[in-house]
Amino acid sequence: MKSQYINSFYKAVMDVFKLMLDIKLEKGELRVVNDMVTGNDANVTIGITGDLSGSVLFGFPKDMNLEMVRIMSGVEMKKLDSFISSALGEMVNIISGNAVTNLSRENYKCDIVPPQIIMGQNKSISMATDKALVLPMETEIGGFEINISLKETRI
Amino acid sequence: MWKEKYKIGVELIDGQHKELFRRVLDFIKTVQAEGPWESKLSEVKETMGFMKEYVIIHFSDEEVYQREIGYPDYGKHRQIHAKFKNEVQKYAERFQQEAYNEETVQEFGGKLMAWLINHVAGEDQKIGDYQNRGGSI
Repeated sequence: MKSQYINSFYKAVMDVFKLMLDIKLEKGELRVVNDMVTGNDANVTIGITGDLSGSVLFGFPKDMNLEMVRIMSGVEMKKLDSFISSALGEMVNIISGNAVTNLSRENYKCDIVPPQIIMGQNKSISMATDKALVLPMETEIGGFEINISLKETRI
Repeated sequence: MWKEKYKIGVELIDGQHKELFRRVLDFIKTVQAEGPWESKLSEVKETMGFMKEYVIIHFSDEEVYQREIGYPDYGKHRQIHAKFKNEVQKYAERFQQEAYNEETVQEFGGKLMAWLINHVAGEDQKIGDYQNRGGSI
């Protein structure tokens, strides 16, 4: 997987966290996994089609997800319900939209498939899987992970 | 929910944004409050009625303003509005079909909040920036 793919998502997630939450991100160490498995309480997958094909999985711990929505709404949130998961899904949708715009600047034309939300850990996501790159992120309100599994479809 | 940084510096639009944020916040408080869903239904229906109308009025006013100042990204912005109006309409139809099912209303609330914050903090700021630069790109 090329660094442009990773950087496009990294830049998008930085920009959206700054814009919507006023929160800075720190990159952790990249690692490779053989399967895309949900590692967190609240997970959102996005499909990518076009010049690149595959999926991207965002996994957030419960407390962080609740805090993200508290920052946006100003209202204390207690449980992971459809309000919370839908707000998270929309945010990931926005991040992925920005990532696709960033990718187009690198001459990759892609589209996103609307997000799917998966609550709970250890659920396998990928189909006939290729390896995925895991991009860990740290913030002042907790850490989360982005799994990226994309390959070029252009010959 | 409203933050000063969301202002774009145009009185009419900032006023409408504040009103939208205020109503979305009320909506969030209602749907997230303890208590039986049935007791919240009349307020949910009232808010949905408001949203459907107000989103259209606000988007239209904002588009008129963009044309007045010759905003170069008007076409793109209008498309973003149209897409979201369509989503609100689809939810309104689902609410009718599903008799205001709690899950669906909560889902709509979360999406509406996140969409609105991103749109006003991001795309709408560009209108104010353009105007502040004296209408140059």
